[in-house]
Amino acid sequence: MTGPLLEVKGLTKAFGGIRAVDGLTFAVAPDAITGIIGPNGAGKTTVFNLVTGVYRPDAGSIDFAGRSLMGIRPDQIVGAGIARTFQNIRLFNRRTCLENVLTPMLQRAPYGVPAALLRTPAVRKVDRELREKSRLLLAEMGLEKMADVQASALPYGLQRKLEIARALAMEPKLLLLDEPAAGMNPEESRSLSALIQDIRERFNLTILLIEHHMDVVMRVCSHIVVINFGALLADGPPEKVRTDERVLQAYLGKEYRNA
Amino acid sequence: MFLQTVVTGLSIGGIYALMAVGYSLVFSVLSFSNFAHGAVIMLGAYIGLGLVTKLHFGLGLVVAGSMAGAGLLAVANEKLAYSLLRKRKAPSLYLMISAMGCAVFLENMVYATIGSRFYAFPEFFKQNVLCLFDGTCNVAVLDLFAFGISILAILGLHLFLTHTRTGIAIRAGVSDMTMCSLMGVNLDRLIAVVFFLAGIFGGAAGVFLGIKYLVYPTMGWVTNKAYIAAVIGGLGSLPGALLGGLILGVLETFVSTYVSSVMRDVFSFGLLIALLVWRPNGLFGRDTGEKV
Amino acid sequence: MNYVLSIVTLAGINMIAVLGLSIFTGFTGLFSFGHAALVGIGAYASAILTYYYFVPFPVALLAGMVAASLVSLVIGIPTLRARLRSDYFAIAILGFGEALRVILENLEITNGARGLPGIEPFTTLPIVVLCLAVSVWIASNFLRSRYGAACIAVREDPVAAEMAGINLFRARLLSLVVSAAFCGLSGGLMAHFMSFIQPVMFTLVQSTALLAAVIAGGMGSITGPLIASFIFIAMPEALRVAQMWRLVAYGLVLVLIMLFRPQGLMGYQELTTFFRRSRNDRPAA
Repeated sequence: MTGPLLEVKGLTKAFGGIRAVDGLTFAVAPDAITGIIGPNGAGKTTVFNLVTGVYRPDAGSIDFAGRSLMGIRPDQIVGAGIARTFQNIRLFNRRTCLENVLTPMLQRAPYGVPAALLRTPAVRKVDRELREKSRLLLAEMGLEKMADVQASALPYGLQRKLEIARALAMEPKLLLLDEPAAGMNPEESRSLSALIQDIRERFNLTILLIEHHMDVVMRVCSHIVVINFGALLADGPPEKVRTDERVLQAYLGKEYRNA
Repeated sequence: MFLQTVVTGLSIGGIYALMAVGYSLVFSVLSFSNFAHGAVIMLGAYIGLGLVTKLHFGLGLVVAGSMAGAGLLAVANEKLAYSLLRKRKAPSLYLMISAMGCAVFLENMVYATIGSRFYAFPEFFKQNVLCLFDGTCNVAVLDLFAFGISILAILGLHLFLTHTRTGIAIRAGVSDMTMCSLMGVNLDRLIAVVFFLAGIFGGAAGVFLGIKYLVYPTMGWVTNKAYIAAVIGGLGSLPGALLGGLILGVLETFVSTYVSSVMRDVFSFGLLIALLVWRPNGLFGRDTGEKV
Repeated sequence: MNYVLSIVTLAGINMIAVLGLSIFTGFTGLFSFGHAALVGIGAYASAILTYYYFVPFPVALLAGMVAASLVSLVIGIPTLRARLRSDYFAIAILGFGEALRVILENLEITNGARGLPGIEPFTTLPIVVLCLAVSVWIASNFLRSRYGAACIAVREDPVAAEMAGINLFRARLLSLVVSAAFCGLSGGLMAHFMSFIQPVMFTLVQSTALLAAVIAGGMGSITGPLIASFIFIAMPEALRVAQMWRLVAYGLVLVLIMLFRPQGLMGYQELTTFFRRSRNDRPAA
């Protein structure tokens, strides 16, 4: 497809007196991994919340695959082909790993309430098929042994993987990852970087990624968007952004040259 | 008729306000709806009754005694039913369920021990009736008294919250409990004070209700109305509780007088639901959101 | 023997209502202090049909279920659409339940506060057992389906559930309607067992007793609340405890459970989980 998959123009959102996002404009190219970076409180997660319909923008537009996302509910946005993970992992804690992945798949099951209440053979068949599909997806993420383990019992790193697996269960075109490497040591982030590149290939995704771990960002992103105080600071390939004056100032302060 | 309705409305409104203050006070500090408050009010009425029948106290002492007793009961309620949950940082819903359990427990304890008989305070408490506005309306001296006490009590509470150390600590706790305790405030003592205050107002309200009407185990459910008053004014707001009580009292009396007394309750509950759906913060309430 | 049978029948009737509330509270995570009113709607609707219009019992039961479901929509749609925080919602439905009671006390056709006597005692133990078995089967099917998965996801994390493609409003509303249907069935069975119903049998007190059974039995479990409900009804009878002391006990149980064992008897597990585990001797996951 031609043209950007996601286009954000003049996006603005204020909470009380604070402008979390301020006239932000950027585009996400299809099949690429784009990173969003910026100091803490720069408004990055707010951008995700705006794109996924959790918040309504005060101004600006969001277009996905040519379609406007304004006023669309979060659960409908999933149907449009966008899935996300959360900064503070939000799993269905008391469900098993399998059930976490199965839940979004089930929402697309082609049966109605009466059939569900009677658990007709058709319902049972769909259930079997989707369970199988869930197991395969878990296996792709290396979680097949944990299928019947409660999500909350998983170690942190695997919980993150499970969240990604659940997002993939929605068969998205665009995957939003919110700080997937948070709390990881260098070896884990290396493994995560490989995973991100891998799933992009295997699942034919476009990925938009918020991250603080620069090693991950520099390693996997083909394009980086830098945000500060809710507005665009820089926008381009890693080499360009890495040496951009304004970016360095935002991160290291005005006196960095003299430090 | 109109004026009489207003006056009657204000007099019951004053009592609602006294009860509503108790709800708002606890809500403002612990962010949960303390449904055991109704039971405390009911027990306040019974304490008052006991003081009058067994110890032959006069009106003033009866009210004071009930206030003290109800205040202590409220503190005990908190220590036993809520403090563990609070320390565990349980969701406010758990607190509310514990509160509901307390209410059912206390009400039925009274039922089972003292009995379901309706008791009345001695007649002389509510005898004197004043004629106002050239005899177009009557108001019992007691109602005036209750109304006056409500206003005074709430004013006093306001002064307490703004001019004393403990009061200011309570207001700080409203914003941030953890920070408050980190600054050296004894949280347990603070919360005990809050409940004590809620309890004394509840006790007063219970006695006034008991005198105005009757004393019986399920009178605590009248406080469902006071809860509605607190919601009208905005949960957590004390001026709101006062205003909400008066507004509800007057509105209810109008519905009861001009429509029917049955519709009065349906109206009140309908108002509650409408408020919760469209304006949960009432007149002066705070807004709390969740971070995604 | 007759006495024991009637206690078991009453317990069974109660278990159906508890099952309904369990779906809404235990599995969807919304607390309600108003479900006894839905039981009452089922009771009155079915009783009125058999008493005044001589409608066949099964049809009347069905009508009771439908009536309860429709009434639940009246409170469900505005409150769930507004996405009220959990305690506000519980209070709103409490107010609704009380308002319903007042209405029932003042209608001609319900015979007001005096109650409706002389209802045909159609309910028998086999019928209750059948209804209970079918109810458990249907509830289990519901919970295993896409709708049940949606309910549980909404309970666990509404934000994540939305991002899994679940419409919060519709999931919660469906859960409410289904739970109301069960309560309506329970009400219909009860009316035709006691032969007499009064609005005061369906108030906040009874709603609290239902909730106590769900919480004591454990949220997220079908078998837990059923067991708790049976114990709540059967034990006081076995101990010859008067009604008011039962309520004292319910209140106390509720407080103690919230304080010391909020997951109740079988929180988030079923009776079968214990059997499976002890058989395989597998360590807990």
